[in-house]
Amino acid sequence: MREYLYEIKDPLGLHARPASIIFMEARKYSCSIEVQWESDKADCKSLLALMGLEAKRGSIIRFRFDGEDEEAAMTAFCTVLEEM
Amino acid sequence: MFDSLKKIFGGGGEKEREKVLAPVEGTVVPLSEVNDPTFSQEILGKGVAIIPSKGRIVAPADGILTVVFETKHAVSITTPEGAEIIVHVGLDTVNLKGEHYTAYKKQGDKVKAGELLLEFDMAAIKEAGYEVITPVIVCNTPNYPDMVCHTGMQVKELEPIIEL
Repeated sequence: MREYLYEIKDPLGLHARPASIIFMEARKYSCSIEVQWESDKADCKSLLALMGLEAKRGSIIRFRFDGEDEEAAMTAFCTVLEEM
Repeated sequence: MFDSLKKIFGGGGEKEREKVLAPVEGTVVPLSEVNDPTFSQEILGKGVAIIPSKGRIVAPADGILTVVFETKHAVSITTPEGAEIIVHVGLDTVNLKGEHYTAYKKQGDKVKAGELLLEFDMAAIKEAGYEVITPVIVCNTPNYPDMVCHTGMQVKELEPIIEL
């Protein structure tokens, strides 16, 4: 299991566009990828779950990767998130 | 018009397919005509886009409102059969931060097809420099390999646009 913390920089929070970028990346990997914000969790492979979090700018969200390709998934997420 | 729709949607005695109904009155066009690659390249899933002729969004199916953005520019509904439908009113309209939109329901509400979800001021949104074209997407498209989208027609609210 691997974890990665990310601070949301988009002024509008985790709206449709950033959520869809995360969702698209998550679907490339077979490991489970979950994101936690405060007490809520969402499966990154569900776009609606991600958008439903309504995580705000400045929030720290925690990604958790669990499965065979977790290392590759985390590396890819770091790149994608830093580009956002 | 209605007759041809009946023919299209009449069903040949098979189990009736789940349908997504038009959430807004207007002209239905293919997603490829949307000026935003997230939609036009079907990154979020397959669907159609509606060029609205009225600033009113109703529920496109029975279900639960899984997402109602604080900015009120997009809603999603999950049907009892599990279809995940997104209605995104306008392009980049997240930037309006809710201005020119009014929401009548909140996240988590259970709705029936046809219930009023949002109203939006088309003229003001256009004046602010945004397109009001409204993609209607099924974001769990992989679950529906035989999905059929109907485009190239005028629709009133609740006319069928997608067969799952």
